[in-house]
Amino acid sequence: MELDIQNVSKKYNRNTYGLKDFSIHIEKGILGLLGANGAGKSTLLKMIATVSKPTSGIITLNKNNILKDANYMRSQLGFLPQDFGVYPNLNAHEFLEYMAAMKGIGGKNLNIKITQLLEGLNLTEAAKKPIGTYSGGMKQRVGIAQALLNNPKIILFDEPTVGLDPEERVRFRNLISDLANDCIVILSSHIVSDIDTIADKVAILKNGSLVSYGNQKEIIEKVTNKVFETLIENTQLNNFKKEHIIVSTSKKEGKLKVRYIANHPIENSIKKTATLEDAYLFLNKIT
Amino acid sequence: MKTFFTVVKLDYLQRTRNYAFLVTLCASLAIAYTFVPEPNANYSTIRIADYVGFYNSAWFGYATAIMTNIFLSLIGFYLINSAIKNDLETKVGQMITATPISNFNYLFCKVISNFLLLLTIVFTVFLMSIILFFLYNDGGPFQLFQFVKPYLIITIPTMFFIACLAIIFEVIFQKYSVLQNIIFFFLFSFLAFNSSKNETDFLLDTFGSQIVMHELEEKVKEITNTDKTTGISIGYISGNTTKAKKIKFTGVDFPLTFILSRIIWMVLGVIMIGFVSLFFHRFTIKNKLKTRENTKTIKENKSINELNLSELIISKINYSIFPLIKIELLLLIRKGKKWLWLINILGMILLAVLPLEIAHQMILPILWFLQVHRISDISTKEETFNIHLFTGSSYKPIQRIFTSKILASFFFMLIISLPLIIKLALNLNFLSSLFIVFGFLFLIVTSVVFGLLSKGKKIFEIVFFLITYANINGVIDVDYFGGFKKDLASIYTLLVLILILLGTSFFLKKKAAN
Repeated sequence: MELDIQNVSKKYNRNTYGLKDFSIHIEKGILGLLGANGAGKSTLLKMIATVSKPTSGIITLNKNNILKDANYMRSQLGFLPQDFGVYPNLNAHEFLEYMAAMKGIGGKNLNIKITQLLEGLNLTEAAKKPIGTYSGGMKQRVGIAQALLNNPKIILFDEPTVGLDPEERVRFRNLISDLANDCIVILSSHIVSDIDTIADKVAILKNGSLVSYGNQKEIIEKVTNKVFETLIENTQLNNFKKEHIIVSTSKKEGKLKVRYIANHPIENSIKKTATLEDAYLFLNKIT
Repeated sequence: MKTFFTVVKLDYLQRTRNYAFLVTLCASLAIAYTFVPEPNANYSTIRIADYVGFYNSAWFGYATAIMTNIFLSLIGFYLINSAIKNDLETKVGQMITATPISNFNYLFCKVISNFLLLLTIVFTVFLMSIILFFLYNDGGPFQLFQFVKPYLIITIPTMFFIACLAIIFEVIFQKYSVLQNIIFFFLFSFLAFNSSKNETDFLLDTFGSQIVMHELEEKVKEITNTDKTTGISIGYISGNTTKAKKIKFTGVDFPLTFILSRIIWMVLGVIMIGFVSLFFHRFTIKNKLKTRENTKTIKENKSINELNLSELIISKINYSIFPLIKIELLLLIRKGKKWLWLINILGMILLAVLPLEIAHQMILPILWFLQVHRISDISTKEETFNIHLFTGSSYKPIQRIFTSKILASFFFMLIISLPLIIKLALNLNFLSSLFIVFGFLFLIVTSVVFGLLSKGKKIFEIVFFLITYANINGVIDVDYFGGFKKDLASIYTLLVLILILLGTSFFLKKKAAN
């Protein structure tokens, strides 16, 4: 499996780009897409999912141009959009039946598969109740189930952990890791912790452009020896912000413990091990 | 006060800044163009027996004002009766709940915003009436006051009252828009055709147009030297206009009591708003509903099963469209309140037991109209329910999913109409049976095209409502289901129209997908 995105742009009007000259080559495994809101993650995923067409550029899956043959992608795609709806009058089982029909799958075993998915995602009890009565997390799990209905070879998850409780998040991460054994999984989020534990590769987007792409180690190396921690007075914070990239703050002994990124640390700072979050914040600020 | 105007202004702007309103304005212009027929046109709009007015300023002013009054009271209500519903659906209502704005102020802001929307359309029609005067006048001078006066005294107070009524209906019937639509339909029919003959009656005339019609009728009686009641018609009447004689109409001197009554109607609207504001839900209905449902259903089993991918059955390819049709049909059946099915079933029984003519001409169009909430969003429900990203990324969405929606609607309407179709077929009236099938197919494709063009369901709902209204009033020109027309040529015309609309709908859908 290989997905190739070459010089793809999405132009909304003369000066506004959703994505600008974006190129990336993706193979089997998990790709984490990191970026702030509006960075272009959803735009990219929608184009890969063939819901939206790029203004320019080419997207190929296994050398097949999906802009010309969208159904080649659709027949092996599992897609969980960031903001999706459901027909509230259908129950989860019916909704999954409907989604299966849309994807062009069926047969005698469909009901068994739907039952397996509902069981695996802890929705069995609610399966016969209208989805309109589900909580956000339950709807999100229905969304995950529909993405897996057709044995997808390429799976796109756009902000998939929204609405999931901490336990569900852990189970979901495990599930993604399992999925990545024989397909491409692209997972977008603006929460670094959703990605850093599972992604094989990470792409950081900013204002529609690719800022950095590589495995986590390569990206983290960009801030190695630049992450420090120190204690400052509350009153110093505003000035400190102007001169450094602050990763996090917390209170300690009446002062503020600040984790920051700098080429030259201030006095009494302790060097810390860099993380993907440090690198993400650093790349977002400096590029 | 400043807050009040800001809220009204912003509400007005958000409701006018959409494609559907632009389409409505264009449609209003087009409809207004027909309010005073071109001298050689084969239809009339306001006619008193064999008489119409000379084309002078007064006739143009009063005729367009009355036509606007009647049509916009009807269409306008459907156009504006989702002011509160929109706030509920967009969840802006929840934020409003947390603000100090009083129920009355909020509802009154909505009334004014509704009123401004209707005024925008009235103003468009008013401009068109002046253009029409310069196009078709019989040589009289242009008198602006003859245009302004009827709009000011007749149309504008009615529009204000309708703006109030729309809010009152929304508060009383809450989210049940089907109920609002049906009850307003009957209320409108009652008010519009409650004919008034004396000055006291005119004061009670909600629409305020009876006084003008009475004046016209008296003029005709004067000319014809008869006391016989003349036939007055308002609306689109085809044929026979070339024979119409002309009377000179110079406007109406409205009595002071009548002018005061128009103001009282407006005040009455505000008083009713004040009354319903006492039990306005203030956007808590959805929460109540959710809480009730949640306690019933969301007692989640906290089992922690994990999905074992290796055990998942491999799905088989099946590109059949039937599973899609099945679910779409299920969605159509489940849409709306369950009790409305009692009315549907009653309607279907009436189709089977009533004499053919009544069943075909009266019951069928009403029964179809009761399905308006089901068929008006065929092409827009994906966006409404935010399913479009799923359908857009599914296998052959236009050929399979879009087609399945049309077919499911077809089967649904077939089921609804089946008693009459069978009854007609048993009477060997196959032509009428076929006409009915083509009739609902026409409705379906019209809904699809209107939905795709306007990106909403409102325009279709209004058009459908108007057509139904004309149908049950026996207007043959808009008979699309063979209630009155029984000839083969009409069927062929309808078929061609259906094919054109069907082609257009696929073209538009494909264009939208690209």
